[in-house]
Amino acid sequence: MAEVEPVDEPILKVERIHSLIGKHHVLQGVSFQVDPGKVTVLLGRNGAGKSTTLRTIMGLLSPSQGTIRFKEQAIHHMKPYEISRLGIGFVPEDRGIFNLLTVEENFRVAMHQENGKTRERMETVFHIFPDLKKFWKATAGNLSGGQKQMLAIARPLVNRNELLLIDEPSKGLAPIIIDHLIDSINKLKEFTVVILVEQNFYMASSLGSDFYLFDDGRTVHHGQMEELVQNEELKKKYLGISG
Amino acid sequence: MNPVQQFRLEEKGVRFRNPYFFLRILLLAFFVFTPFMFRSFEVLDVVLKIIIFSALVASYDVILGYTGIVSLGHVLYFGIGCYSVGIFMGNLGWISYGHLALAFLIAIAVSGILSVLIGLFSLRIRAIFFAMVTLAFMEFAFILSSQLRSITGGDDGISFKLPGILAVDYSIGHFLGIELTGRILSYFLILLICMILFLFMLRFVHSPVGRVLQSIRDNEPRSIALGYRTYLFQVIASSFASCVAAVAGACFAIWVRYVSPDSSLSVSIMLDVLLMVIVGGMGTLYGGIFGAAFLMVTRAFLPKLQVLVGSILPGVPMAARLSERWLFYFGLLFIIIVYFFPKGIVGTVQEFFSKRRTS
Repeated sequence: MAEVEPVDEPILKVERIHSLIGKHHVLQGVSFQVDPGKVTVLLGRNGAGKSTTLRTIMGLLSPSQGTIRFKEQAIHHMKPYEISRLGIGFVPEDRGIFNLLTVEENFRVAMHQENGKTRERMETVFHIFPDLKKFWKATAGNLSGGQKQMLAIARPLVNRNELLLIDEPSKGLAPIIIDHLIDSINKLKEFTVVILVEQNFYMASSLGSDFYLFDDGRTVHHGQMEELVQNEELKKKYLGISG
Repeated sequence: MNPVQQFRLEEKGVRFRNPYFFLRILLLAFFVFTPFMFRSFEVLDVVLKIIIFSALVASYDVILGYTGIVSLGHVLYFGIGCYSVGIFMGNLGWISYGHLALAFLIAIAVSGILSVLIGLFSLRIRAIFFAMVTLAFMEFAFILSSQLRSITGGDDGISFKLPGILAVDYSIGHFLGIELTGRILSYFLILLICMILFLFMLRFVHSPVGRVLQSIRDNEPRSIALGYRTYLFQVIASSFASCVAAVAGACFAIWVRYVSPDSSLSVSIMLDVLLMVIVGGMGTLYGGIFGAAFLMVTRAFLPKLQVLVGSILPGVPMAARLSERWLFYFGLLFIIIVYFFPKGIVGTVQEFFSKRRTS
């Protein structure tokens, strides 16, 4: 098992967190860190604890042990709304779209405040996701799966979020839409640090700079994405990918 | 010009070409001209009750349809409004404009404070807890109003008179062929108040606070993750809606000039409000008008079906017997509406146009 090595001034540092869902001890000592300017991918089989880790960072689950530091500040005891206001955006697995609101209203709800800077950020959003401009007045629930995913990813960008947690964005999407999504997330890398939880190895390897492998609620391996792409043994053992 | 400003400009441009805009004008014109078009007091009474209940149902829609909180005691605030006017004008006998305004203010203040307390106490735990607590408070108020005879008049209620131009025997002459009595002036005053209430509610649900409320209804954990203390927003919505309900109640008292536990605080009024929201459509605000109209019109005119059938088909006993069962037809109509408009009348129409826009 590879030990997590400290790197100078990470934007997020997770140390030995344990989390329970009901009676189930899901996270059993997850440790990792996220460096600025990178896309860190969390990989592992279903039930390994990747999504639970994101929910714990966001404060939606309280860790029973361990610490989470965002820019040196301990956040593991904070409420979700306080964590969000620090500048951490979250795109959950179910996308968390407000289906009965329009695309515009979805953005306005996400805005912590509306000012010149927010409007500038909206221009960036339209640049990265031009389709959203077309459906600005449409009810979000009526959008296609790909459009909903783009809305979900774009929505946190209206605030000054320094870290974006994205949970399985490719889930249920056609390959052509996934390619489009990869292009969009590649563009947003310029504006925010991303932690990506992804089952689709093609997407994960196209976007990731660093990776952490999860198994049974623990981080078991980490390194640069190029290493993982070439390491068939690791891929087979932890992701079930061969050839 | 950034894209958001461009969208806003385009939106302003199409506002006057929107069919909904003309529908609203038409609806308002109908309410304004009702006293001139229909001379019957019965019609006027039904239309004004539609107006008052539209405001009450819309206020309930703010908490149920827009925020997703189930309250079973919203009529409590309606009753507070009714009794506030009733006690001032009837029990205390302070019949003046100043005291009438004071009755409105006290109703708003009491309702606002009470709903904040109930909300802080019960919304933090579970939504269903809120439903049970509100129902308990309404039942408590109902019992209190029938027991405190010296203040509320007990089960007999309070009949009262209104000041100046609102008094029944007041008349300022004729206009467009009708006599402008205290009744007609009360009608216009209540219409004006309910219109202002409706505009307030529209502003509220389209404000940033309103959007947050809708996001809580759609996905509360997501709203929390976006940085909102959701239960505080729920308390705000609940207290706002209760203040509106109190004003609607005070207006109702002005119109009927009588308050009693059955007419202002009973569970049956709460059930009517629920029916009106379902028929009109939750989360639409305008649905309240259609829901109230459906219930009020069918209740007022279906019992007269027998007379109508009797005049069309005299001497057909079967037809006369069939037309007796007006409650059966009422139920049938309700089922048909729920079947063909699963999201209420306004909700289903809105969804249809929204889907057409997206496709």
